[in-house]
Amino acid sequence: MGVIHDNLSRRKFLSSAFMTLGLSFGLGTLFIRFGQFLTPEKKEKRIGEVLIGNFTDIPDGAATPLEISGNKILVVRSKDRITAFSRICTDLGCLVSWDAAREQFICPCHQGVYDKNGKNIAGPPPRPLDRFEILAKGENVYIRV
Amino acid sequence: MAITIEEVKEKSLKDKIIDYIQEDVPDHLYTWPYTLGAIPLVLFAILLITGILMTFYYIPYPDRAYESVRDITYSIYLGWFIRGMHKLAVNLMILSLLLHMVRVFITRAYKDNGEVKWLLGAGIFFTSLAFGFTGYSLVYDNVSYWGMVVVTNMAGELPVVGKTLLLLLRGGEEVSEFTLIRLYDLHTKLLPLLIIVLITGHILAVRLLGFAKLGTDLKSVPTEGMHKFFPEHAMEVGLISICLLIFIVDIVMLFPPTLGTAANPLEVASNVSPPWYFSAVYKWITIVPRDAGLFAVMLFIILFFAYPYIDRFLSKRGTDMWRVNITISAAAVIVFTILTLWEIVRV
Repeated sequence: MGVIHDNLSRRKFLSSAFMTLGLSFGLGTLFIRFGQFLTPEKKEKRIGEVLIGNFTDIPDGAATPLEISGNKILVVRSKDRITAFSRICTDLGCLVSWDAAREQFICPCHQGVYDKNGKNIAGPPPRPLDRFEILAKGENVYIRV
Repeated sequence: MAITIEEVKEKSLKDKIIDYIQEDVPDHLYTWPYTLGAIPLVLFAILLITGILMTFYYIPYPDRAYESVRDITYSIYLGWFIRGMHKLAVNLMILSLLLHMVRVFITRAYKDNGEVKWLLGAGIFFTSLAFGFTGYSLVYDNVSYWGMVVVTNMAGELPVVGKTLLLLLRGGEEVSEFTLIRLYDLHTKLLPLLIIVLITGHILAVRLLGFAKLGTDLKSVPTEGMHKFFPEHAMEVGLISICLLIFIVDIVMLFPPTLGTAANPLEVASNVSPPWYFSAVYKWITIVPRDAGLFAVMLFIILFFAYPYIDRFLSKRGTDMWRVNITISAAAVIVFTILTLWEIVRV
């Protein structure tokens, strides 16, 4: 009797184990697919050069905010040097603004401070501001985004 | 053992229901710290009703969201009243959940089968915080827009799961119209479903596993009286509901909801701040190194869920958990208050 009973329970155990395994595998893959449906694909960044203006159009000592295809950019000119920074604070994604008097970029969210070269000098930001490449072709200034 | 007649004769469904609603509940539920469980439940009912009402006017599209909230607040008849009730009720709900947790923690009510109640309750608490964040973002004024940017970025910085979580929440790498519709879906569909399951589970667990015993150790449990769930206890909950309703209606009348300027993706609000219940965490991650701060927050959440098991582990080894819990809860309340005030009262 005991042996038969043993076999039966083992058979039961195995069949329910297979059932559980199969179900969790099936449902698992289904839900992974659902998750993939919700996760957007990363868009490939297209790089292009955009004319932002004549050299003399860009005011000296000030920062000009621009938005080019979703990139929020600050173009800073000091004398004959032009640099372009991403406005997105490297801390938590707020937008920095240019403080002309102190020649610094300030993020209002956590008082992060960057110097005029975009280097993080105070507050929580972990790295310097992202930069965009500036190309000068004659008098015209282009930005690579 | 003697078998009673009731046990031999199978009860009809009607009898079972009558027994269930007339079950005896302990008298200590009459004291105010023990009403802190019923209060969030009543508030949740208010939130559900006012929330459903607002979905009839709210438009979850970036160009229209702010306008529709403005219409609810200033144009639609009684819109300000519905929105005000919703806004106040969620703040009160989170506050009462916090107090409820402190009460449960101090009295160690998560012991003796209470673990399930604690786990479900912790689930309810964090779901409520998710409700708070998503709802705050739906307003779509400038403060809430940048709050949404900052919080989703914070989620993105979490170790391991961060990047995927960010993409899932935002529906892309940047905050866009997909972000708003996702937060709207979470706020009005998925989270309500989740919290209703959790609340039902929590209440069932409390009823089936029994109310927490009074006192800090079982020897000192005072013998106390009982009263019926219905009508006595139901009347008490009714009384709480009426008091809460009067309070909420009065406060909304005195302080109708307001609205900031429209969201501007090109201009950060000067006073970016999350709702008060996130202020402590927001301050915390700015005063400590970022990775360590976020790691500490995650560790805290894990320890929080696991606390009943930690308690059991330690008390088996002879630790006086009553003292430990009093110390932890006093420290937690003080730290939370200091961080919150530090963030809210800007110098």
